[in-house]
Amino acid sequence: MICTAQERRLPARHVGVHALARPPNNPAHRGIELQPFHAGLETGAPRSVLARERARIACAMLADCRFCAHDCGVNRLAGENGLCHAGAEARFFCAQTEVSDELELIPTFAVALSGCDLRCDFCITGASSWNPRAGAGFDARAMAVKAKAALQNGARTTMVLGGEPTIHLPAALEFVSLLPETARLVWKTNAHGSAPARELLNGMFDVWLADFKFGNDACAQRLAKVSDYVRVVEENLLWASEHSELIVRHLLMPGHVECCWQPVAEWLAAELPGVKVNLRTGFWPAWQAARHPELRGTVSTPESARAVDLAQRLGLNLVP
Amino acid sequence: MKKHRSKKDCALPGKNQVSELLILPDGQILVHNLTPLFAGLLRKLNPDDEQISSRVTRHLSLHP
Repeated sequence: MICTAQERRLPARHVGVHALARPPNNPAHRGIELQPFHAGLETGAPRSVLARERARIACAMLADCRFCAHDCGVNRLAGENGLCHAGAEARFFCAQTEVSDELELIPTFAVALSGCDLRCDFCITGASSWNPRAGAGFDARAMAVKAKAALQNGARTTMVLGGEPTIHLPAALEFVSLLPETARLVWKTNAHGSAPARELLNGMFDVWLADFKFGNDACAQRLAKVSDYVRVVEENLLWASEHSELIVRHLLMPGHVECCWQPVAEWLAAELPGVKVNLRTGFWPAWQAARHPELRGTVSTPESARAVDLAQRLGLNLVP
Repeated sequence: MKKHRSKKDCALPGKNQVSELLILPDGQILVHNLTPLFAGLLRKLNPDDEQISSRVTRHLSLHP
């Protein structure tokens, strides 16, 4: 699917999901006149059919992009760029079968879309994640052929990630529309999406694999240049836990056990008891991590032990 | 002369399988984007490593 300005001419009823998150008189809304419309989203139609419809909706929403919580409102169809700098066309920088994710998900055919709405200095794929023009153009049909071949060869799941896939909802949804109904799909996200994005994603992916990277807004601002991080992520995680399977990931960062992991762990224990948590201790000082003195090395053994001990004391459901 | 790669060349999606390793001074190996094939290779290096063994699948030739 190629998203063009013509998509903006869709009947208003097709973009009703957009209205769910914003009052109709909001002056920031420069998009299409919206009306509540749920029929296409609640008919119980096959996932592929819903995904195809929602891909069209998502294309139209590029004219007033609010897929992530940055809420830029730029017209990506007209070449405007928001904080992620992504245009209307999705690209990808990696697509292969991998076994480095959670054991219950592997082998997974993982498709990494270029570009991201966060700017984590320690991003292990920073060059491609920060650059939405990295890699090659994303052809959903060709990628679906590869995904189906991988599933036939023993891959257990298909994973869509980034960068951050939320900024490429039209492409991701079109990809879903071309996959078998029975395929187990994983949405790997930074959990910084918006309510309208979540509405489009509802029922599309079996598993949300979501990061909870920072335990406080100060670290989020300093390391990833994002504000209001904790509230947004918590909102997304609560939603995901109600609408799909959820696995929460926390990448333990050196020097951030008390300020980041501890509040994350305590919140998960209190608000999402029993949720699967993958505490990843293999921090890799990649990309621009060296800008921050504490991120110039790996996590020490005592730090790692302290983090695991905290998780166990709080009764978190740690998964490998 | 050094050959400069354009941004478009920074990845070869669909052509190459990519795993990345970081070998630490204490002998630990961190892996990113571990493919089935590479997991099999790492297990040969240390058959006793449970973390790697658990990620080796019977389908070592997954090349979509």
